[in-house]
Amino acid sequence: MNFLENLPLAAKQLVLDLVEWICKWLCAKTGVTPPDWLIPALLTLVSILIVIVAILGVYLAMFALMSVAERKILARMQNRYGPNRVGFFKWRLCGLFQPVADGIKMLTKEDIVPRGADKIVHFLAPVVMVAPALMLPAIIPYGRGMIPVELSSGILYFFALGAGTELAVFMAGWSSNNKYSVMGAMRAIAQMISYELPLVMSAVIAALVAGTLSPVGIVEAQGGYAFGLLPKWFVFTPWGFAACVLFYIGALAESNRCPFDLPEGESELVAGHLTEYSGFKYAIFFMAEYVGMFAINGMLVTLFLGGYNAPCPFLEWIPSWCWFFGKLAFLAFTMVWVRATLPRFRIDQMMEFAWKFMLPMSFAALISAAAWHYAGRGAQAWGISALLVGVPYLLLGYFCFTRRHSANNRPYLFSE
Amino acid sequence: MHDLIQKLTALPWDQAPQWLFLLPALLMLLAAAAAVMLRNLIHCALCLTLSFIALGVLFIALGAEFVGFVQLLVYVGAVTMLILFAILLTPASEVAASNNPFRAFQLSKAINAALGGGVALLVLAGLLAAIFFSPHAREAVPPAVAATAPAKAIGENLLNHTLLPLQGTAILLTAALIGAALLAKEERPS
Repeated sequence: MNFLENLPLAAKQLVLDLVEWICKWLCAKTGVTPPDWLIPALLTLVSILIVIVAILGVYLAMFALMSVAERKILARMQNRYGPNRVGFFKWRLCGLFQPVADGIKMLTKEDIVPRGADKIVHFLAPVVMVAPALMLPAIIPYGRGMIPVELSSGILYFFALGAGTELAVFMAGWSSNNKYSVMGAMRAIAQMISYELPLVMSAVIAALVAGTLSPVGIVEAQGGYAFGLLPKWFVFTPWGFAACVLFYIGALAESNRCPFDLPEGESELVAGHLTEYSGFKYAIFFMAEYVGMFAINGMLVTLFLGGYNAPCPFLEWIPSWCWFFGKLAFLAFTMVWVRATLPRFRIDQMMEFAWKFMLPMSFAALISAAAWHYAGRGAQAWGISALLVGVPYLLLGYFCFTRRHSANNRPYLFSE
Repeated sequence: MHDLIQKLTALPWDQAPQWLFLLPALLMLLAAAAAVMLRNLIHCALCLTLSFIALGVLFIALGAEFVGFVQLLVYVGAVTMLILFAILLTPASEVAASNNPFRAFQLSKAINAALGGGVALLVLAGLLAAIFFSPHAREAVPPAVAATAPAKAIGENLLNHTLLPLQGTAILLTAALIGAALLAKEERPS
């Protein structure tokens, strides 16, 4: 039990010990006496490197797995086979080696830059896209004591880096010198800005109740069990459930997943801001999108689904990091599920949903969370906060969705 | 070789982090200069963004994590996007057209440069005065930047001591938002 729980940290310590031993052996062999700060500094550097390599390895492996799992799950839901050919020699392994083939294809494709493109910005856009995406996983607690960088304002770090994505999308769209690229980028930015508000507001709710901006603090606030059995995750409170759903929808929109994939809607805009990208640059955009999706799902797990906490006391023998990644895998699966189920939004529906429903709803959840806190967090608080979430939900739903929007009554504000 | 190692290790490496903050500072100044001098407006805006990012890094390097992240969130996420949208949505010909409202104020290049330099000097002098006359100028670490919970300290300061200016700013911004929406929304002929 303890062995599995400590396995990742023990592996890290093993590598560190090995490096220290090699250093001492080298010093003894050459007869150089290093200054006493050198070896500790080197070990710090190595331990940072180990964490970086681990994060990159795990996230890129998840990206590769996800790219094949998504296609296979989608295929299963649409009653067909999906990729099942690629394998080693005669072992096909259910097409598990599809990402390898895709990677080789992307690497060897020609990299085309349009003649009218702004060369420097066109080159820099994938860089600006992928750098923040790979920095996002740094503040997510993966298990007990397993957080790469412990920041006191980690939540803020997460959303501050998320702002880089908008910049990259704009750079990609504008530098391509293509009307579909610019239109796709405009749509993507409008969507991201609109859905960032409810996203940040629902993160604020979790931070408000936990009383801290640090991800570890928020996870610790969700530890323990009510009546010795039920988990105290935020998602199991009225305000937490509302905020969790809002955050999930916002996460779908921020990572451009279906039904919010209209910036890249291939039936309307070729591929949006990705139209003029090919080869490895396209693959980098794709990778940044998936890593960002995993990171934002990890944030959702941290904020509302109890992070690395087990759901019941008698399941605590499973290591904490297994719980985290299990929840993450479940969320990734639901995203594929949503993609297979829902059709794409129209742009006016998307904007109205963000501004007229999700933003007021996130304010209601914020007020409800504050009421829950000041009513003592007991049964009475439960009732009050349920009322404060439920009534706005019904009213907003009634006014937003039932009255006007039949198929004949849609506003053509920008196309007339 | 042995000598070189001895000399290198004798350098004051433990003070390196204090000098490292020069890197983002230099980047910020260069990017700001480029933002003024480049011809393409979009390039200017992107350079300005780089300068904002470097400023955020500078805050973080100086220990003001919270302010640094807010700088990135607000300036890179919102202000830059606003600037870029404004550039894209403004037809370039309109600025150069003869109905430029500021045309009457245009003077010769020398007077313009002198005026611009004067304004820049005034702003710089104001900033320096604000720094030197602030009550915390002589202290090594300002009290608001408590190492443990800077966000908490800033929040308490904002809501206890400067509540009125905060609310005033909020009303001002809301009014600006409503005004912008009114200006942007054209009346449709029925």
